[in-house]
Amino acid sequence: MIIKDVVCPFCGCLCDDLDVEVDGQKIVKVQNGCTLAESTFTGSNRLPAPIRRTASGWEAISYDDAIRDAVDILLSADRPLLYGWSSTHGETQSFGVHIAELIGGVIDNTSTVCHGPSILAIQEVGHPGCTLGQVKNRADVIVYWGCNPTEAHPRHMSRYTTFATGFFVPEAQRGRTVIVVDTRRTESAEIADEFIRIKRGGDYEVLSALRAIVRGKCEVLPREVAGVSREQLVRIAEICKKAKFGAIFFGLGLTMSAGKYKNVRNAIELTDELNRHTKFTISPLRGHANVYGSNEVFTWITGYPYAVDFARGIAFYNPGETTAVDILRRGECDAALIVASDPGAHFPHSAAAHLAKIPTILIDPHQTATTPLCRLQIPCTMAGIDAEGTAYRMDGVPIRYKKIIESSYPDDADLLRQIHDRIMEAKRA
Amino acid sequence: MTELLVKNACVFDPLNGISMEMMDISIRDGRVVESVSATADVIDAHGCLTLPGGIDSHSHVCGTKVNFGRYMSPEDMRAGRTARRGKMHITSGYYVPTTYGNSYRYSTMGYTTVLEGAMAPLEARHTHEEFTATPHQDMMANTLFDGNWAIMEAVQKRDTRRAAAIVAWMLSAVKGYSIKLTNPGGTEAWGWGEDLTSIHELVPNFNVTPAEIITTMIAANELLHLPHSVHLHCNNLGKPGNYETTLETFDLVPDRNNGRQTLYATHVQFHAYGGTTWRNINSKAEEITRSVNAKPQIVMDMGQIMFGRTMTMTADGPMEFNLYCLHHNKWSNHDVELETASGIIPVLYSKKSLVNCVMWAIGLELALLTKNPYQCLLATDNPNGAPFVKYPEIIGLLMSKRYRDEEFATLHEGTGQRTVISSIDREMDWNEVAIMTRAGQAKALGIIPQGKGHLGVGAEADIAIYPIRCRDVDPSTEYRKVIEGFQKTMYTIKRGRIIARDGEVIVEGANSTFWVNPSVPEEISVASDPEFVKKFEEYYTVRMGNYPVQDVYLPRGKCIRTEAVL
Amino acid sequence: MKATLNTGRTIHQGMAVEHKSSPDYTAAVSICYMNPVDLMDLGIEGGARVSVTSRAGRIVLTTRAAEEVNQGEVFVPLGPYANHLISADTHATGMPDFKGEPVDVTSTHELVKDIDSVMEELGGVRYDH
Repeated sequence: MIIKDVVCPFCGCLCDDLDVEVDGQKIVKVQNGCTLAESTFTGSNRLPAPIRRTASGWEAISYDDAIRDAVDILLSADRPLLYGWSSTHGETQSFGVHIAELIGGVIDNTSTVCHGPSILAIQEVGHPGCTLGQVKNRADVIVYWGCNPTEAHPRHMSRYTTFATGFFVPEAQRGRTVIVVDTRRTESAEIADEFIRIKRGGDYEVLSALRAIVRGKCEVLPREVAGVSREQLVRIAEICKKAKFGAIFFGLGLTMSAGKYKNVRNAIELTDELNRHTKFTISPLRGHANVYGSNEVFTWITGYPYAVDFARGIAFYNPGETTAVDILRRGECDAALIVASDPGAHFPHSAAAHLAKIPTILIDPHQTATTPLCRLQIPCTMAGIDAEGTAYRMDGVPIRYKKIIESSYPDDADLLRQIHDRIMEAKRA
Repeated sequence: MTELLVKNACVFDPLNGISMEMMDISIRDGRVVESVSATADVIDAHGCLTLPGGIDSHSHVCGTKVNFGRYMSPEDMRAGRTARRGKMHITSGYYVPTTYGNSYRYSTMGYTTVLEGAMAPLEARHTHEEFTATPHQDMMANTLFDGNWAIMEAVQKRDTRRAAAIVAWMLSAVKGYSIKLTNPGGTEAWGWGEDLTSIHELVPNFNVTPAEIITTMIAANELLHLPHSVHLHCNNLGKPGNYETTLETFDLVPDRNNGRQTLYATHVQFHAYGGTTWRNINSKAEEITRSVNAKPQIVMDMGQIMFGRTMTMTADGPMEFNLYCLHHNKWSNHDVELETASGIIPVLYSKKSLVNCVMWAIGLELALLTKNPYQCLLATDNPNGAPFVKYPEIIGLLMSKRYRDEEFATLHEGTGQRTVISSIDREMDWNEVAIMTRAGQAKALGIIPQGKGHLGVGAEADIAIYPIRCRDVDPSTEYRKVIEGFQKTMYTIKRGRIIARDGEVIVEGANSTFWVNPSVPEEISVASDPEFVKKFEEYYTVRMGNYPVQDVYLPRGKCIRTEAVL
Repeated sequence: MKATLNTGRTIHQGMAVEHKSSPDYTAAVSICYMNPVDLMDLGIEGGARVSVTSRAGRIVLTTRAAEEVNQGEVFVPLGPYANHLISADTHATGMPDFKGEPVDVTSTHELVKDIDSVMEELGGVRYDH
């Protein structure tokens, strides 16, 4: 049986045009998706049952025991950390926030090591953006800055930018100029009409240079800025000013390099400047399929998009203090609940190591790099495959994940609901 | 079966002609009934002011741009934060509270129903998720059509039936309540960084004018028998001299409905400016109200500004960009493909600014110069003019000339020459206030049949009891008591349950979302039109099958079905 | 050899990211992409192993020649191997220095650790089922 218009739960593109062939409860083939989608849907190796670490190794346990253990760990903790959230759906994220509020813990999501700096920049200067269809239908100039969509968001260019036909851009690539800015000549750069190769750490300077040119102050520039010639910079600025609609997409090249949120701020301010000449937008390429969802859910409940600390009885936000890596680095948390993410693989190792020292609960369908570090892992459904729910695309458009097969795994929203309710009961007693 | 008896209530129920009558209100299973048994729970209103639950007919509280406003403003989140208490979750935010923050603050003020000012259909799912997290108010969504490509195509072809069919499909797909037009045509022009300056200017590439969009949508609205009228944020918001656009727009409006207005013009204060520049801007409230007083087919809301900081957020993308150029504050923008736009920027309304003082005066003038209080409702376009927690102060100003004069004396000295507020003696009375804050909204939104806005038998038992003894308070001189009284109810009752008492919310909420499902004959339905489907799949970036909002998002949805007469 | 470390996503890392116990994943993320000229300077060929050291730690990786990587830089896909070299200091931003960390690269015959061993070094206990 072929299920049409399936939503892919891997990356922030949230493509919703996949055709997935299922045979009973087994996924056989994926069409229209990229290789990342293929791996997501057809992969196996899901943990069969909850496991608990004891002095003599790992043992399988029942869901009931696992939930009971999890509740005990969270109730006994003074400063629990609830981290992850990006690969699951909205209802689960909601429960996560409510649990954190109940137990006075810190809740953070994967933005913290991804586009957190972009959020910090937006909190300083705002975000002039749009939905992806605006880009598809209107943009004649596309800029990819510090990102490599060919590898990390493979269908971005075909669904939304370079290769997509739009109402006002019927010739697709022939009607567009693509500019790629990076420190190395990636595969994305190969597709570009203009490739700007920046010296590592030079993004901020180059952005400032472009702002100066757009403002008509070209004469203050030296002949070369961070390895980029003034000629090329003037040419790029001209292309941008003459665009009918320009769209900048940026990635971890800006958020992870020295300057971090200041790099992103500068890019946003360049976009603001360009808006005085023509229409320009800027948007982050969000990594996980539903990381933006965790930002949205955290925000409408707590007011803050990530790194929220409930220890004071109010919602408190201070990135650098209440962010997961910092809390782990300082050895500050005495228990952790990791849901739908893999800090074992993606955090600096000294931060990840702390997870092994404290009782860590992992709710994740797969064996991950966090598995060896945790004390208890509870496998659950995979949002978009055997569980449905809301996800927010990188541009904020909410799409509902489909449930395309049945499984015997519990929905992680259900697991969290049970944990939440038992904690409520315990607190009332 | 649950019964509640409210004794000794001093009731104003304008829709039932009740004005300052002492009575008991009997409630059974969430509705007002003739009488209840001796075993009913009893609360004593002690002769205090008792009104139907408040209804906000235009407020930005849920959805994409509201949440944008929150996460870009951690400084505002800090300003308004409260701790967990009893049944109440933590809240954050002063101008843009979190959803629980909005819900608790509205409850404290006795408000039980809210119309979300703007929802982009593509992002409706987000609005509905936030509706569920605003648990103590029944919610409904103004659905944006101002830059809708399919609509503009139908308007260009002068095909009103087609426009109606598109509206029918979209409203039922995204579970919206009403047609909202924000800067019609202008939001599409903003897709290219442009705007329109006249209602007769052509939208680039689409060859229709705002006037055509407005008149076609009004006709479509009435064809579909929608409970609310077209809800319009006029073109040229905020520009000196824009009152002419507003008057021209009002002249377009026919009288097509016996039960309610044919056009709801929102936050008209922002559209009532004379002059040609910021230097000579003045109030044209007299001209505007002269037009409205002669046109029963138009209802407006004030769009009152109050001094202090706040957040502007509207679908009027180009207007927000202009504010950015003026204030250089942090600016966010979010254009929605094939549909609409939006912009967000914080502002400060200051008494030192002559322009802001004129704006403040205009909102009050509009209310005081409109003869029929059903035609000018109390609102601030929350949070654009001011956060809704300021409504009690506005009530104070409307009921007391003395308060107005005291405030006026603290304004920029040039205000008197540009406005007429200081010459207006009218003071609203309790009955008029009740109309401007609930009865008028219920009528305008078409929710009287849903049992909202009144306290007659059969009504939903949404009741606000304010700690004000009307017979003992002279609102003209004791405006402080009026303001304090309206800030915090003794009781807020929703569907017969006491949800708030003296400022504390005491139960979990279980709100409903009202939405409309207009049906049209199969032969004009767009879902089965291959052209419509083809264009949808080609130009949107979401598949048509994934676009409609699934039932699961409205756990207690209340669907209002209408039948098109073509 | 002194170099600057860059980490990031690759398609192979992404394909295997939900199968971290698979050999594909280890193969995808324990790679150190280097410019051919730098490899030559070290006297090795792509496929040989290097020991990479930073202020945060040391890890053994398999090299692969890559023209697009600048001289003086190395690229390691994001994952537990790269994170052995990244400090948890975020300069109060919450975000570690995933890009731009100075490292020292030397040729080695040491073997690349399997992922479970890497996690055990952090105090974990491998799960074999």
